[in-house]
Amino acid sequence: MNKSWKSYDTGAFFDELITPAGRPRVVARRAVNLLQSLAEEDMVARREAAELAIREMGISFTIYSEGKNIDRAWPFDIIPRVITSRDWSKVSRGLVQRTRALNCFIDDIYNKQKILSDGIMPADIVLESGNYKPQCAGISPRYGAWAHICGSDLVRDKDGKFYVLEDNLRVPSGVSYMLENREITKRVLPELFENYSIQPVDDYPSKLYSTLASLSPRERRRPCIVVLTPGIYNSAYFEHAFLAQGMGAELVEGSDLFVDEDDCLYMRTVDGPERVDVVYRRIDDDFLDPEAFREDSALGVPGIMRAWKEGNVAIANAPGSGVADDKVVYAFVPDMIRYYLKEEPALASVKTYLCMHEEDRDYVLANLDKLVVKPANESGGYGLMVGPHATKAQRAKFAKLIEANPRNYIAQPTLSLSTAPTYIDNTVAPRHLDLRPFILSGKDTWVTPGGLTRVALVKGSLVVNSSQGGGSKDTWIVERSR
Amino acid sequence: MRMLSRVADRLYWMARYLERAEDTARLTQSYTHLIMDIPEGAEPGWEILVQILDAQPTFGARARAYNEQNVLRFLIADEENFSSISQCIRAARENVRTTRDVLPDEVWEHVNELHLYSQEWAEKSVGRRNRHRFLEQVIGRCQMINGLMMSTLCRDHAYRFIKLGALLERADMTTRVIDVGAGALLGDERHHSSVDPLIWASVLQSLSAMGTYRRTIGPLVEVNEVVDFVFREEALPRSVKFCLNGIRKELLPLKHNREALKVLDRSRRSLSRFHPESSTREELHAFIDAFQANLITLGSVIDETWFSLDKT
Repeated sequence: MNKSWKSYDTGAFFDELITPAGRPRVVARRAVNLLQSLAEEDMVARREAAELAIREMGISFTIYSEGKNIDRAWPFDIIPRVITSRDWSKVSRGLVQRTRALNCFIDDIYNKQKILSDGIMPADIVLESGNYKPQCAGISPRYGAWAHICGSDLVRDKDGKFYVLEDNLRVPSGVSYMLENREITKRVLPELFENYSIQPVDDYPSKLYSTLASLSPRERRRPCIVVLTPGIYNSAYFEHAFLAQGMGAELVEGSDLFVDEDDCLYMRTVDGPERVDVVYRRIDDDFLDPEAFREDSALGVPGIMRAWKEGNVAIANAPGSGVADDKVVYAFVPDMIRYYLKEEPALASVKTYLCMHEEDRDYVLANLDKLVVKPANESGGYGLMVGPHATKAQRAKFAKLIEANPRNYIAQPTLSLSTAPTYIDNTVAPRHLDLRPFILSGKDTWVTPGGLTRVALVKGSLVVNSSQGGGSKDTWIVERSR
Repeated sequence: MRMLSRVADRLYWMARYLERAEDTARLTQSYTHLIMDIPEGAEPGWEILVQILDAQPTFGARARAYNEQNVLRFLIADEENFSSISQCIRAARENVRTTRDVLPDEVWEHVNELHLYSQEWAEKSVGRRNRHRFLEQVIGRCQMINGLMMSTLCRDHAYRFIKLGALLERADMTTRVIDVGAGALLGDERHHSSVDPLIWASVLQSLSAMGTYRRTIGPLVEVNEVVDFVFREEALPRSVKFCLNGIRKELLPLKHNREALKVLDRSRRSLSRFHPESSTREELHAFIDAFQANLITLGSVIDETWFSLDKT
């Protein structure tokens, strides 16, 4: 075993690759053995090869700093995360169930609102949220699918059990990095792939294409699909281009599109206007259509909502989908699953206390030192409080805030995020991570095998965002290793 | 095959910037060699390289003296000069970055590598020590990218607008190179006939045309023949005639091409009517000026016809 692994200690957390006794988990054994057998110089060489590949392939994300847009190389850790296909199939089933319920919910809210009239959820929670878009009422997209592309963030607690932390139903990003991570691992650690059967991820763009094509209002062999990007300065621009290319679709900006008097959407081409069937939009609702939402938006397309309502164009994700992407609504997802699907949730949510309920509020106030308190509405302005790390004064402040405006606060127990061996400063050390699988809903529902694993590169940190020093790992779903 | 106007616009400029980077590198390379050959006292100044590119105002704002160091920094590495080699490469990369979805992956990878190379080396290659290697690299890598596109791109609109950009830029740069040779370079009082063949040979070299010239015209390098050859030899890929013919070929399959063809034919006619052997240097210079002005008009027509987003 090379020296860099010697002092590896999983501590009190669930480690994805190593057991508490310090031995590799069965599913990861061959990979860990191989990595441990590499000489230290060899590990360094592999890491450098990965960095070079990332630079050459131009895998980047954009951050805005000191008044300049900087195109940063994608931070990547060469040690993959390994999950058994048995564990994964349970998670995958749970995600399909969850996404179906969420789509039922969105469709219900913009139409009959039965879940509200049946008293399963308080109406004001939903209808007074900024994520509820009255402009979308009365619309019923094909297959009842609103959130066609969903990215759910999962974490594993101390016991290794998966929990859904949140569902991103607006414009979730990261899938291109999931694909590129696999590509890089194949380039720099090809021998890891021997003796493993790993579920491939690279058919995502074709799955996405099929999902989007199934939404086309016109029956055509090849509907005209476009990816609508806010432009090159968006942090996910790389991904927008990547997906457009992967699908053979046009990558368009708002100024490339217009809605004509026939309420159809067109793009401007060198041969003249061409009608568009499906828009995979990567800009937020508020900027989508200055006629319907923010008037000052220069990114969107005037009249696109009109074209959508007339059924002349499909938009993915459908405008208004964000109504189910809300911290308070999150607490009701298990109830939605029971209500719409008559099933028990297959995937756990994090227990969420709504301070608007007296019973929950009393519990939260009595246990502030154990809970994470979050404002339900982002614009709350006071940020969140991590109870175990907060000072007495901070806790007192939040107690006051909750009592003054209980509707605006929710609380959740703190989870112990799982860790995985990560190669940092020539040493392999445990770092916390999460996982974002992507769920596609059109005519059918489909889940990526694995997803994007994001890892907090700073010791002890739980912040996995790439803009704040997070990295990523290739994620393997493997059949039982031979 | 559909093509967004905005994407066509960016492909066209990507090709123009790549061609400009390569041509500026060629020009700088052959001029550096020329200066080393010419006896002390008779050598033309460095300012001519700035004049060729009509960049005196930008240069003037950046440096006072037209010495080798200043001029070469301006041409190779200056961040404020948007026609410097490093800035052309940056602009080309930016255009590829925003059109990656219609280009083969390798094009992006190679343009990106060229950009990384130029970022690392441009500033260090202003001096004579690294200059040669840097310029060779830029020329070679641009050629590789062009070759890659020629051998992988589907012959559709993407290819067409890339060709249009490259050919228009090349036609423009070739006339500028001639302009160097043509007296703008040597005032009459500094005229040394023994130096002339060296200068015209350097013009041919910068266009990779020396070998073809020898085989087609002969080994003696003479001004009128060189000018005629570089303007009107249709078989020479960097000749003005070749570029204009190529532009015509790419314009023909495009819709709404009437206005562009009209302007192009004006250039073609003026080229066939011009006779270098009976022209003075002043006339040659005036011809080139008018010719370049018409190419600029052609650029604007292309922009209005196919790239403009205002019309629907």
